[in-house]
Amino acid sequence: MIGMDEKLSFFKNGVRLDGRRPDELRPIKIEVGVLARADGSCYMEMGDNKVIAAVYGPREVHPRHLQEATRAIVRYRYNMASFSVEERKRPGPDRRSNEVSKVSREALEPVILTSYFPKSVVDVFVEVLQADAGTRTAGINAASVALADAGIPMKSLISSCAAGKVDGEIVLDPMKIEDNLGEADVPIAMTPNGDITLLQMDGRLTPEEFRKALTMAKAGCEQIYEIQRKVLVDRYSSMDEPESCDEVEGLSEEEI
Amino acid sequence: MDRMDRNVVVPGDLLSDDPKKAGEGTYVKDGKVCSLLYGMASSYKDKVRVIPLAGKYVPSPGDTVVGTVQDIVFSNWIVNINSPYEGLLHISELPRKIEMNEMSRYLRIGSSVMIRVKDVDSTMKVELTLNDRRLGILTRGRVAEISPTRVPRLIGKGGSMINMLKKELNCNIFVGQNGRIWVDGNDDDMDLALKTILIIEKEAHTTGLTDRILEFLRVEKEARS
Amino acid sequence: MSDVVMAEIRKDYLYHLVLKGERADGRAFDEYREIVLETGPIRKADGSALVKLGKTQVIVGVKIQPGEPFSDTPNKGVIITNAELVPLASPSFEPGPPNEVGIELARVVDRGVRESGAIDLESLCITPGEKVWIVFIDVHVLDDCGNLMDASSLGAIAALMTATIPAQQYGLGEDYPLPVKDVPVATTAVEFGDAIIFDPDTDEESVADTKLTVITTADGSVCGMQKSGPGFISQDHIYRIVDIACERAKEIREKFLEV
Repeated sequence: MIGMDEKLSFFKNGVRLDGRRPDELRPIKIEVGVLARADGSCYMEMGDNKVIAAVYGPREVHPRHLQEATRAIVRYRYNMASFSVEERKRPGPDRRSNEVSKVSREALEPVILTSYFPKSVVDVFVEVLQADAGTRTAGINAASVALADAGIPMKSLISSCAAGKVDGEIVLDPMKIEDNLGEADVPIAMTPNGDITLLQMDGRLTPEEFRKALTMAKAGCEQIYEIQRKVLVDRYSSMDEPESCDEVEGLSEEEI
Repeated sequence: MDRMDRNVVVPGDLLSDDPKKAGEGTYVKDGKVCSLLYGMASSYKDKVRVIPLAGKYVPSPGDTVVGTVQDIVFSNWIVNINSPYEGLLHISELPRKIEMNEMSRYLRIGSSVMIRVKDVDSTMKVELTLNDRRLGILTRGRVAEISPTRVPRLIGKGGSMINMLKKELNCNIFVGQNGRIWVDGNDDDMDLALKTILIIEKEAHTTGLTDRILEFLRVEKEARS
Repeated sequence: MSDVVMAEIRKDYLYHLVLKGERADGRAFDEYREIVLETGPIRKADGSALVKLGKTQVIVGVKIQPGEPFSDTPNKGVIITNAELVPLASPSFEPGPPNEVGIELARVVDRGVRESGAIDLESLCITPGEKVWIVFIDVHVLDDCGNLMDASSLGAIAALMTATIPAQQYGLGEDYPLPVKDVPVATTAVEFGDAIIFDPDTDEESVADTKLTVITTADGSVCGMQKSGPGFISQDHIYRIVDIACERAKEIREKFLEV
């Protein structure tokens, strides 16, 4: 472990410790439809982060008093496996995971057409299997794909990543060591149109640095969006023009 | 920039610059038609529509579905119809009059029914009816479950696919709008029917499906004899 | 979430099949679904394994950390097993602390590891009475398509067999592999009328009211059992299950755990 007092350079010849340029994302891997029981699911790796998202619903709300008469409610549960971090984490929710769940839900809610399913619930569950800085953004990316996989009507997908500041320089998608010893972290989520649905910031930035970080994170989200979209499209790429079939039709007499 | 050429679309994909073309599974924003769903985009009449690749069944009046009785509460049977919304079958919606104390003799918890959606109100209260000679209790046969989004494909244009299956498979087949398919026939025929239905579900969006299914059935039946 | 009542015609069909000597997915009564085992998927754990048993998926992570021994066993290490039935894995799992089903699962997994003597607890002693290695076995269920007991137990022993004691990280010398002395394997069967069915899927589990898990060691002894569910089970059936369990466990051990 490297202590704060040890002066460590995060850059060598302009590249980061893992060989990335300042504005480069970690490698991303996405698989869709990985769980049999869930209505929609997605496994995602962002660097050393490994997360899995499942969507159940729309389904009946239990307990019933949580029902809303005119729309579906959205629930989001971010949970870290106890073995996902260096030091074993006690299982179950804590203050951090509760906050992450709330802001992640609010990052996705603006695009979900909740009015289509009054009185129901759309449950999103994200399990972090391995954490390496950026789990909430990986979770939101996976959840967005899982929502699409479940057939939930949405205005668009949501893409998410962070920008940070290390050694006085703004970098995209900080990894663990940069996050731990860096000067700032700005996770965001956005629609492909650039509307922001998640914004958090901690650390210290000048307004100019913040602008640079936000611009860089948005560019990262754009790249992630293309990967999310490609994975979904490629899943059915072997399909051609669908054979024409009628609207969902009532049964005619002779069919019964 | 128009993503229609790719056919498979994701939520938010631009489908058309002409808002008049907005069809099922789309929405209009700033005068542009975009997809609301992960699905297959196509032109239908003079509209652009998106057929979803997944999703839950939402009941609408007139639908015929296959349900399972979950509970009996007061004068209603509560029926699971493979949907976020459960259905209510009131004692008065049977073809004949029965008394409240004989409700569980007529339909038990676990009974399956071929049933019609009579009404759905704005609070998504779903009323069901059995009051039609073509509806009833399913005591034999088997039920397959497919994604409700694949139901139109299983029926086919003008019932072409389902009529072919019934003829070739020697089975009585009833396609519930909620994705539950009731099949009745002899054991071997039902096995083949369920297998075929699952293939249709999986390959719903491929071309030449009807011909391939016909060929599949021919090979299977040959192997059997 | 309340479970959906299974349609009677579905139940009748499953019973009808069993009478014919068949199962819905075409397996023989004592046949397992395909098993896929991947060890080491979680680099941050000291040992880990992903088990796929048909469509059932379970991931097990092992963490090893120094800590205090129990006062009545001052020279023995500690094993702590936990299972999380997270709501991602099934529509019937709910968020919250483990319920009795999750606790039973963890305890049966623990029993196999503990009673087989797979981990020599005395070898985990660092300073008697003060410091020992604590082995955390965390079972994380990802997709419940039936028979979590066997999938979780297999994941646990596979994760332990590939685990490293992270001594260096704590200034306690070089890292070294966790010594594992036995290979317990759990096999579970359900009773279906007169038939005995191994490795039940979700439908079979919900129709049968009783299951029996038998854990056997490498030398063919039984080191743990659990009857689960509210039904009866006859002595004759128990003997038959134990016999078949030993055979299936041996095959699984030889194929996946290289013993």
